[in-house]
Amino acid sequence: MEVFNKAEQLEAARALVNAIEQDDDARIKTELMVLTNARESDLFQQIGKLTRELHEALNDFKIDARLIDLTHKDMPDTRDRLNYVIQTTEEAAHKTLGYIDKTLPLANELKQTAAKFIESWQRFRNREMSAAEFRELSREIEVYLPGVNTRADEIHSNLSEMTLAQGFQDLTGQVLRQVIGLVEEVETNLVKLVKIAGQPQQPETQTTDPLKAEGPQINAKNKPNVVNGQDEVDDLLSSLGF
Amino acid sequence: MKILIVDDFSTMRRIIKNLLRDLGFNNTIEADDGLTALPILNAGGIDFLITDWNMPGTQGIDLLKTVRADAKLSTMPVLMVTAETKREQIIEAAQAGVNGYIVKPFTAATLKEKIEKIFERINAQ
Repeated sequence: MEVFNKAEQLEAARALVNAIEQDDDARIKTELMVLTNARESDLFQQIGKLTRELHEALNDFKIDARLIDLTHKDMPDTRDRLNYVIQTTEEAAHKTLGYIDKTLPLANELKQTAAKFIESWQRFRNREMSAAEFRELSREIEVYLPGVNTRADEIHSNLSEMTLAQGFQDLTGQVLRQVIGLVEEVETNLVKLVKIAGQPQQPETQTTDPLKAEGPQINAKNKPNVVNGQDEVDDLLSSLGF
Repeated sequence: MKILIVDDFSTMRRIIKNLLRDLGFNNTIEADDGLTALPILNAGGIDFLITDWNMPGTQGIDLLKTVRADAKLSTMPVLMVTAETKREQIIEAAQAGVNGYIVKPFTAATLKEKIEKIFERINAQ
């Protein structure tokens, strides 16, 4: 197909006008065809260019084995990783709560036994205690003191175990960083896809239902309709008269 | 005995610090990456290095290699505490001269055992 430049097109147009003015049917037909061919060749050029670009973009995508990997391997992988995070944090929370359950009674025992002795000791100091009673008290204290040692050791040990249980944050943190990396990759690829699709879409402004459950707010400080902490909840409720 | 603890997660550094305190080691210093650990090591005075593997700047394995290659630091005892569990990694660390390799999650008993083992070997030399 010949390519017509502007000057040539203008010339052809003038020739057509001429032919029409002169009522030369045969020439009108010829000149019309010349112009149509010019137009078609132009169109063909455009289509050819677009097709080439699309072809190259698609090829880039095919060559991008990452995309295939992302779909088949990394996404299911990511689900596993996030489930691991849920599981690990759950286990750590239960573990810690378990040690707390074991430690509170120990602290209570110490407190209760001490309370008993405080009472007895007070009677001794007030000279309200007989010698026999004092001997009994001495024996009780002798039994009690090693017990304090043991309880304290147990409490210490439980607290150490609780310290270790916090190790979940490091492990889950590492996994979450990997997931963030993957999300960024998917984001990049999606942007590429949108570009190929051609039309710059306006992002949908979704009207979110304010009553819809969202779980914990991540960026509470930057959201005007989200309260920060119990104090703000209490303030809000009392300002409404509750 | 001054111990340098290197891990990019502050919680892990805190846990190790607490465990060391329980074992009687109160003189500890922290770094959040192999990169930030090096100037501390080069300044001198560190007797023991405990490091993670997976860190964004300089990985623990590279920190270990750097330490072993530096005449002033090469004999420092190094203990890795890490979530990395591939055989190739453990072998690589051993070949790079690590003195102990603890995998997360770990127990206080394991930390105690590995540290004692390292000191035993040092004292036997």
